[in-house]
Amino acid sequence: MKRKKWLPYLFVAPYLLHLLVFVAFPVFFSLFLTFHKWNIISPVEYVGTSNYTRMFQDRMFWKAIWNTIQFLVIHIPLQLVISLALAEFLNQKIKLKGFYRAAFFLPVIVSGVVVTILWQQLLGFDTGLINRLLVMLGFGKVGWLINPDIAMGSIAVMATWKNVGLYVILFLVGLQTVPLTYYEAAEIEGASHWQKFRHITLPLINPTIFMVVILSTIGGFSLFIEPYIMTGGGPLNSTLSSVLYIYKQAFEYYHMGYSATLGFFFAFLILMVVVIQKKYIEKKD
Amino acid sequence: MAEVRLVNIGKTFEEGMQVVKNLNLTIQDKEFVVLVGPSGCGKTTILRMIAGLEDITTGELYIDQKKVNELDPSKRQIAMVFQNYALYPHMTAYQNMAFGLKIKKVPKAQIHEQVMRAAEILNIQDILQKKPGKMSGGQRQRIAIGRAIVRRPKVFLFDEPLSNLDAKLRGQMRIELAKLHKKLDATVVYVTHDQVEAMTLGDRVVVLNEGEIAQNASPMELYSNPGSKFVAEFIGSPKMNFIEGKILLLDGQLVFRNNELQFDLSSLNYQNLKNHIGQEVELGIRSEDIYPTASNLKNYVKVKGQIIAIELLGNEKLIYAELEESSLIAKVKAQHEAQIRSSIDFYLDLEKAYFFSKENGQRI
Repeated sequence: MKRKKWLPYLFVAPYLLHLLVFVAFPVFFSLFLTFHKWNIISPVEYVGTSNYTRMFQDRMFWKAIWNTIQFLVIHIPLQLVISLALAEFLNQKIKLKGFYRAAFFLPVIVSGVVVTILWQQLLGFDTGLINRLLVMLGFGKVGWLINPDIAMGSIAVMATWKNVGLYVILFLVGLQTVPLTYYEAAEIEGASHWQKFRHITLPLINPTIFMVVILSTIGGFSLFIEPYIMTGGGPLNSTLSSVLYIYKQAFEYYHMGYSATLGFFFAFLILMVVVIQKKYIEKKD
Repeated sequence: MAEVRLVNIGKTFEEGMQVVKNLNLTIQDKEFVVLVGPSGCGKTTILRMIAGLEDITTGELYIDQKKVNELDPSKRQIAMVFQNYALYPHMTAYQNMAFGLKIKKVPKAQIHEQVMRAAEILNIQDILQKKPGKMSGGQRQRIAIGRAIVRRPKVFLFDEPLSNLDAKLRGQMRIELAKLHKKLDATVVYVTHDQVEAMTLGDRVVVLNEGEIAQNASPMELYSNPGSKFVAEFIGSPKMNFIEGKILLLDGQLVFRNNELQFDLSSLNYQNLKNHIGQEVELGIRSEDIYPTASNLKNYVKVKGQIIAIELLGNEKLIYAELEESSLIAKVKAQHEAQIRSSIDFYLDLEKAYFFSKENGQRI
């Protein structure tokens, strides 16, 4: 009997340890850092709320947030439409279904770094495959990653390509929960494909749409690898995402306290956006 | 008028399974025809072919004298009530019923009129603003039928519409459906696996077995004159009793014999039995034609059995008894005294007996 008392704790222990070391400790330590100045080498120095006042005056940080919003505005609708369209396609009676499923999902499991480097090759100005193709077809070259006006768009398209497979799977699950007889009943009523989609599919997969929007919002806010590798935040800071800026503050300028402050504020911002989305998208029954 | 005619209809699924074989059936205008059979007999497939939800592999389908094999379901002037009702959960009852007209861009006033007319027929005006999730099974059932009525179809198709309801409600809805048919004066094709539904609802009942028509007749005809052992066994509750034996000619007399009993058939009007001398047959007899006494019986045979179970139904009781090689269920008056594990004598009314060929199950 005595043995059984501590046994459950033993089973929980590994996870608890992980939680303490990698989640709880960083959260509290970074909260602690937001009120301090620290460059890793010198001792920690208390600075009160000056990190916060600095943040509100930091134009570059607000530009990074604005950049991220621009990314989201392109990325989320694109993600939603393409993944739903592909899921609809896969939900039909088609040949090679397994192949398509695997093909759409492949980019999701390939390392982000690998995908990014691959797209860098595609989008390069002089040697990129896409520009070569454009030239061959008689068009001019496009500065996919070097034109400040379109660089973020290029990254958004690439990020969509990378993640779309995951959302295709989510939508497929959603689509398959809609009973076939709903469509048959609608068919007898004379509904067209579009009408069936509009009046039956869309309302019934609303929870999936909500989930996809939330997940791609959170995923989109944490945009980092792509600009870090492809553009370093340039040109003219046009692809400097919030997370990339936070990273730079910490590991390029060693402003650990300030970086933690930005991180906290940014997390709060994401939470607000998700709460607002939940209110608007999730229809009450 | 809206006659439905199936000519040599066959259905083979892609995997090569043939579920409907060369079916010929005419459903008259305003007739209530029930397709009944065990699961896998092809009844639902036939209904879905009429609806246009399933392609017809071979043969021709006519609705209202018009060949509709290739016609879109929505243009066949049919309405279907599904087993699970298929009501859209995000729409109210009203919206569900109005959906078909709405997508056809019928003016709102006309939609309202048609929906209200259907609602009145079914007496569901008070639940029109409810969503399916908030309704009882019976209410959902009515909305599903209402949706069908709104379409003003020539033919109503019902796919096991009562199977999701509890026994009491099923009985109620059965009566309502029968009334509704009179009110709507429409052709109805109704699929069920429940022989009670088939017998009580149908003007005509088509018994299906393995994709073929076993018998197509009025309910009474099916009951009193089954064409095969399959139909005899399927129709009626409790099931018909069967006793195996052989037809023999002994000393110029036609007899039925097995290891436990032997009786003379000469005095009975079974001319065809003469053609089956020496063959294995099955004698079929319904529970209500088995008596605990011989009074009032002209031609009977006595069998001895052991009672293994008794079910009281109210004014009647079912006695389950084992003979040496077979078993019987007899329906007797509730007052009849009987004890489990005691032995009992039964008198089978041979004038009500059926004989079926053991070889192919056909009636002799």
